[in-house]
Amino acid sequence: MQTRVISLLVEDNPGVLTRMSGMFTMRGINISSLTVSPCEKPGLSRMTVTIEASESELEKVRKQLSNLIEVIKVVDLKEHDAIIRDLCLMKVHTKNVEARTEVMQLAESYGAKIADASLDSLILELADEPERIDRFIELMKHFGIKQLFRTGITAIARD
Amino acid sequence: MAGKKLSGAEIVVEELKKEGVEVAFGIPGGALLDFYEALQQAEEIRHILMRHEQCAAHAADGYARVSGRTGVCIATSGPGATNLITGLTNANMDSSPVVALTGQVPTSAIGSNAFQEASTFTITMPITKHNFLVTRAEDLPRVIHNAFYIANTGRKGVVLVDLPKDVQASKVEVELHPEETFPGYKPNINPNKVQTKKAAEALANAERPLILAGGGVISAGATEELRTLAETLGAGVVTTLMGKGAIPESHPLCLGMAGMHGRIYANRALNECDALLALGTRFSDRLTGWQLDQFAPDATLIQVDVDAAEINKNIPVDIPIVGDVKLALSDILKWLKKESIREGSVWLQRVKEMHSACEECIKDIHRPGSSVSDILIKELNNILDDDTIITTEVGQCQMFAAHYYMTKKPRTFISSGGLGTMGFGFPAAIGAKVAAPDKQVVDIAGDGSFLMTCHDLATCVENDIPVVVCIFDNRYLGMVRQWQELFFDKRYSHTNLGITPDFIKLGEAFGCYAERVEKPEDLKSALKNAFESGKPAVLDMIVGKEDKVLPMIPPGGGITGMIGTERCRRV
Ligand SMILES: Cc1ncc(C[n+]2csc(CCOP(=O)(O)OP(=O)(O)O)c2C)c(N)n1
Ligand SMILES: [Mg+2]
Repeated sequence: MQTRVISLLVEDNPGVLTRMSGMFTMRGINISSLTVSPCEKPGLSRMTVTIEASESELEKVRKQLSNLIEVIKVVDLKEHDAIIRDLCLMKVHTKNVEARTEVMQLAESYGAKIADASLDSLILELADEPERIDRFIELMKHFGIKQLFRTGITAIARD
Repeated sequence: MAGKKLSGAEIVVEELKKEGVEVAFGIPGGALLDFYEALQQAEEIRHILMRHEQCAAHAADGYARVSGRTGVCIATSGPGATNLITGLTNANMDSSPVVALTGQVPTSAIGSNAFQEASTFTITMPITKHNFLVTRAEDLPRVIHNAFYIANTGRKGVVLVDLPKDVQASKVEVELHPEETFPGYKPNINPNKVQTKKAAEALANAERPLILAGGGVISAGATEELRTLAETLGAGVVTTLMGKGAIPESHPLCLGMAGMHGRIYANRALNECDALLALGTRFSDRLTGWQLDQFAPDATLIQVDVDAAEINKNIPVDIPIVGDVKLALSDILKWLKKESIREGSVWLQRVKEMHSACEECIKDIHRPGSSVSDILIKELNNILDDDTIITTEVGQCQMFAAHYYMTKKPRTFISSGGLGTMGFGFPAAIGAKVAAPDKQVVDIAGDGSFLMTCHDLATCVENDIPVVVCIFDNRYLGMVRQWQELFFDKRYSHTNLGITPDFIKLGEAFGCYAERVEKPEDLKSALKNAFESGKPAVLDMIVGKEDKVLPMIPPGGGITGMIGTERCRRV
């Protein structure tokens, strides 16, 4: 089992998402992250799907996805030749001045932005590789995370 | 034809005509009133009113398998559409080209649990090759054109078009007969030359080449190429259930159907070959058995399939070829011309010997150990002509037919392979007879299966579709009973069908010709009477209650582990 990132170019029709996700459901594969958005071509969307699967499962699913009429292209993004990003928004407790200063320093060193602040919490925003976000979240847990949102992975292949 | 205002229903009918649709099987309903109004005005299209939507789908499927043309079935919204499901799943699993048109509640009511609303679009997504929910009449020309294009190209399958009531009724001005297709649909037709060359070399260098012909050979119209290649190579040919008819089973190189209920030498050959060319088959477990180490263990495996997703799916392949079987075979044959083919090999002798052993067993009608069921099918080989179309239900009846019936021509053995649907054979026979009115059509039926769809005898009688249903009357869900006998110590849990109905009275109630066949010797005259009656016919053939389809691969076994082989001739 490995984490796999698949990028799909699809027609932007109602039902495409169900059709696509059905391919994974049929095989009992869990989708751990999914992003859908318009792309450079009008009428088409790009989906980035992250799954846990073996090499052979991935191969079968990739071919079956290609068979879907509304799927125009399927790319299996290998980690080394793709740029992978995730966006994280979180609300962190900052009960006292020390905690607040510490959180702000750590945020700075991770390149996270302070999106909003209140007296006893900060909203942090970090767009980065998913693993770095994981590490940042681990750190912030020490202070107490009130709420956490991640958009899920989006990825682009290098030339 | 731009400039003229047409209703959505009229547009659909115009596009059906343009696609050359000559017949459709269906049942109307509230959500299809506009469509049926337009359909009635199209003289080019014959509509056959069925008695159940499942039968409409099976009939369209049977029509498609016999003619190679896309079958069309029609059902109203809600229950009409849900009744279609079994038939559509069946057709799609066997890659049969069918277009289904369904009525739907008005777009404004979709999602409101309106009367007779079912979400046909989402329900049919996993059981179709593609489906459409049309929300604007303007989209209809492109949708209908593509429905037919997608259904009958690449790996064939089912396309469903859901037509909301208001879309059928609304009048719009559109350009008819578009040619435009979808950017994401480009079937892989042309095989890679490097791969076909490799395949040709592997086959030419093999000592014991074997060809495994699946339904893809028939679907691609590649039966001539298959035969030429087998003869050129001196290769044996075995088939799957779906591939029955890809080569005449009387051909000295043909060893018949392989697999769980296959012929013993077909399985032997699969075990012994050193190169295996698999054509248009998906290596289902009914073919391979469960001990994959017995399946072609020494063979270089070459797989040709038009669907890339089938390659390497169930069995690892050495030389994959994605493309149309006919084109791939022509390419392989071209490459082979340059190679020298050995003649009179030991393997060729062995294949011929195995073929004659099988053929002898089948010709030897009263061979010791034969059951009445065996004998009836063996008799059919002598009674029916080569053009007769056989359809089958599912169960022992089906496997007796697959095992003993000698299919001579492609598209004359029609059976439910992937889904194994009881009740398929009879409505499929209706579609077959409509596609080929000049041919005799015989459904080899189980008593259990036939009762699932027998109401459509009314359709046959009303529309003058004289098919002959030959019921294997064992008053059991025989195949399940056989498994209970062999593997559950004869504990017959809920497989006894009792004593009803009287199939003669049933047939007669519908206005059919009906006759009981008490002994296999009477089959010939009964069939003669049935055909001569010119009516749909029901023959109630009394078989041994505990007849078994043997030999077989027991559950968990492999292709060399068949049981019940005592009756086979050894070579
Ligand atoms: C629709 C459906 N329901 C259940 C089954 C499971 N099943 C497979 S064979 C069989 C028995 C078929 O009985 P019959 O049609 O009488 O044929 P026989 O085996 O007796 O020749 C059953 C119940 C099936 N294949 N299809
Ligand atoms: Mg029975």
